[in-house]
Amino acid sequence: MEFKLEAHRIVSISLGKIYNSRVQRGGIKLHKNLLVSLVLRSARQVYLSDPCPGLYLAGHPGAPAPPQQPEESAAGPPAGWGEPPPPAGRAAWPEPEPQPERPAVPEVLRAGDSEPAATVTAAGDTLQGGEAEAPEAAWRRVEGPRETAVGGAGGPAEVSGVFPEGPEAARGPCGCPPGDEDKLSAAPRVDGCRASRPAAAEPPASPPVCARKRGAGWVGGGPADCPAPGSTPLKKPRRNSEEQPGGAAAAAEEEEEEEEMETGNVANLISIFGSSFSGLLRKSPGGGREEAEGEESGPEAAEPGQICCDKPVLRDINPWSTAIVAF
Amino acid sequence: MVLQPAERHCGDWSHRRLGPWCSPTGSPAPLSCETGCGEGTWILVCRLLVPTQVSLLSMEEDIDTRKINNSFLRDHSYATEADIISTVEFNHTGELLATGDKGGRVVIFQREQESKNQVHRRGEYNVYSTFQSHEPEFDYLKSLEIEEKINKIRWLPQQNAAYFLLSTNDKTVKLWKVSERDKRPEGYNLKDEEGRLRDPATITTLRVPVLRPMDLMVEATPRRVFANAHTYHINSISVNSDYETYMSADDLRINLWNFEITNQSFNIVDIKPANMEELTEVITAAEFHPHHCNTFVYSSSKGTIRLCDMRASALCDRHTKFFEEPEDPSNRSFFSEIISSISDVKFSHSGRCIMTRDYLTVKVWDLNMENRPVETYQVHDYLRSKLCSLYENDCIFDKFECVWNGSDSVIMTGSYNNFFRMFDRNTKRDVTLEASRENSKPRAILKPRKVCVGGKRRKDEISVDSLDFSKKILHTAWHPSENIIAVAATNNLYIFQDKVN
Repeated sequence: MEFKLEAHRIVSISLGKIYNSRVQRGGIKLHKNLLVSLVLRSARQVYLSDPCPGLYLAGHPGAPAPPQQPEESAAGPPAGWGEPPPPAGRAAWPEPEPQPERPAVPEVLRAGDSEPAATVTAAGDTLQGGEAEAPEAAWRRVEGPRETAVGGAGGPAEVSGVFPEGPEAARGPCGCPPGDEDKLSAAPRVDGCRASRPAAAEPPASPPVCARKRGAGWVGGGPADCPAPGSTPLKKPRRNSEEQPGGAAAAAEEEEEEEEMETGNVANLISIFGSSFSGLLRKSPGGGREEAEGEESGPEAAEPGQICCDKPVLRDINPWSTAIVAF
Repeated sequence: MVLQPAERHCGDWSHRRLGPWCSPTGSPAPLSCETGCGEGTWILVCRLLVPTQVSLLSMEEDIDTRKINNSFLRDHSYATEADIISTVEFNHTGELLATGDKGGRVVIFQREQESKNQVHRRGEYNVYSTFQSHEPEFDYLKSLEIEEKINKIRWLPQQNAAYFLLSTNDKTVKLWKVSERDKRPEGYNLKDEEGRLRDPATITTLRVPVLRPMDLMVEATPRRVFANAHTYHINSISVNSDYETYMSADDLRINLWNFEITNQSFNIVDIKPANMEELTEVITAAEFHPHHCNTFVYSSSKGTIRLCDMRASALCDRHTKFFEEPEDPSNRSFFSEIISSISDVKFSHSGRCIMTRDYLTVKVWDLNMENRPVETYQVHDYLRSKLCSLYENDCIFDKFECVWNGSDSVIMTGSYNNFFRMFDRNTKRDVTLEASRENSKPRAILKPRKVCVGGKRRKDEISVDSLDFSKKILHTAWHPSENIIAVAATNNLYIFQDKVN
């Protein structure tokens, strides 16, 4: 339990550092942000792997958390967790996950070498190995370990709405689940961007994610305030990050009450931010993987003389730092 | 407090000595490298302070104005962030000591020459030259400010009467020439003594201008500017032993330059992944081998060192040797990656070993053994239990440097609370000293300090919780042949000398 709190605290601190790095003179320090992201990832692993039943789900008091992890990796989430939403729920589960996104998840999932993280690792391996797999299948596997930490009260719909990791095009970072708004607002908000925000304080309509890649369908189907991919999605991370410090403090106080919600948030947040340089902020000018990939060559070409804060270069340096930096 | 009158007509006086100093001994200091640090006693030679209001006056400033400026100099109360020393480096003979600060200035100190009249002044360093090396820049495209802080200074070996050094900030390397001028031409035909043009009609005779002695003046001019070659922040520069090339390293790339060519450089190391999301490590320091102009090393944030041979290929992405120590699993924590990140790497003078500094230790590696260091020294292991607090206050990201002494028998590095540590590799003894204002009396002998890690604290020990983490010694330098060290503590530069018995 203490590890979880400690990890939680470290996550908050780390996010604060990343946020503050944008205002530091001299631009983003790649080295420091890399180290902070590594800490974030370690904390996330501990957070997710620390077996503390009761902290995970308010809605599943009897659901054992750790034992599920080994099973999840193999065959997707166990039935107890609810079925992952059918891919049709997302307007555009497109093609198999683009190459750049692959490392993101395996990167995260593969990082640990300790026992609890093994399941996560396994999930990552399956994801990585399944380049040709159906996106849905891969998505399920990815979802598995995450769902352990998600405050998945309410069932699959809410859960699914939050983690569009897995095969998705490099769309804008707006992670609004399509059509799930109503459910999401009703359920404890699993918001990927807010670590430890009390449930009550969360505006239900807020888009769940700052810096996660989402399918185009996500964007399209999101809530009204979910902006199209492009520059505006970046606003989300900043808003979320800004709320972070305050939220952390408030969360600490209300931790007992908001445990599952907060945990879910943190878990989401960790999963998102913790995947060090995962494709969090793949900025796509008009949406679409092709463009995003085209952008990859942009920064390369534009490098000499560029420092950061430019869209393509931002992405190169630190995807979710760039989100924050963009402001 | 005695303000010494200016002895050199430097462009700007920025140094104030705190009183008459005694020389360590009357006789020239013998080469005391062999005594190591355990037997020697260290005394303070001088503490040099660079105040904020350094006015870069014209070279022709007269003495009176300088005295007025001197009188405005205050002590520590003027210290601003721009005065924080960010790099210290002796030149190859040890005669000159250069410091760079966060304000982009370079201050060069020169060792006092021994003279019969002022025997006691030998060993002191006085300001020789001060100049503004880098200015803050603004990248309008990215809306990003480029800091003027001097990250590194490296001297070139002296080949003529002038001195050359490289100084770099985050983006631009500059080659500076520091030269003395002690003669000026007099007797122009077309100009009178004040420099006003004369009416050619009034000239009836011609004369040949002659050079007459003048008061010594030291001037610094930028000879080369090597810009626009680094996307990321430059962390190291290193002059090659061929004296024709040097390298500059940023987080992901290392470039090789020729001193004569400023508009292009060769990229010799590039660890930028095709997909930045896969980035796992960055370059933290790089250095050329002291004798082999084809060999260099670079360290990474993962605690590894790669030795590369430029003869192998144009792009040295594939290392020749790879130095890494397996991680101790019992010490694993959230911050294991951060504390294993190497902040400095230095070849020994002999070229047989390299020394690396990570957050808690200094390690000496033999170039012939890649799987583990030959020596590991704990700098401040008592901080291991405090890593979380140090992470919160950002101290865990401090980049400490490490230095060899001239004979490679002693290594030195800094710590917190203005402590610095020396390790004698032969006797395996170590000492902790403090660079503090309280010990600023002339010839004050440095008393070894000790940090109490637990249990009963002795009288003169300091407990871990009392350490001042805002006072950190990141930059130190050791004279190439004598036991003289320069220690930078925030905006103060301390020079200590080994007292020879």
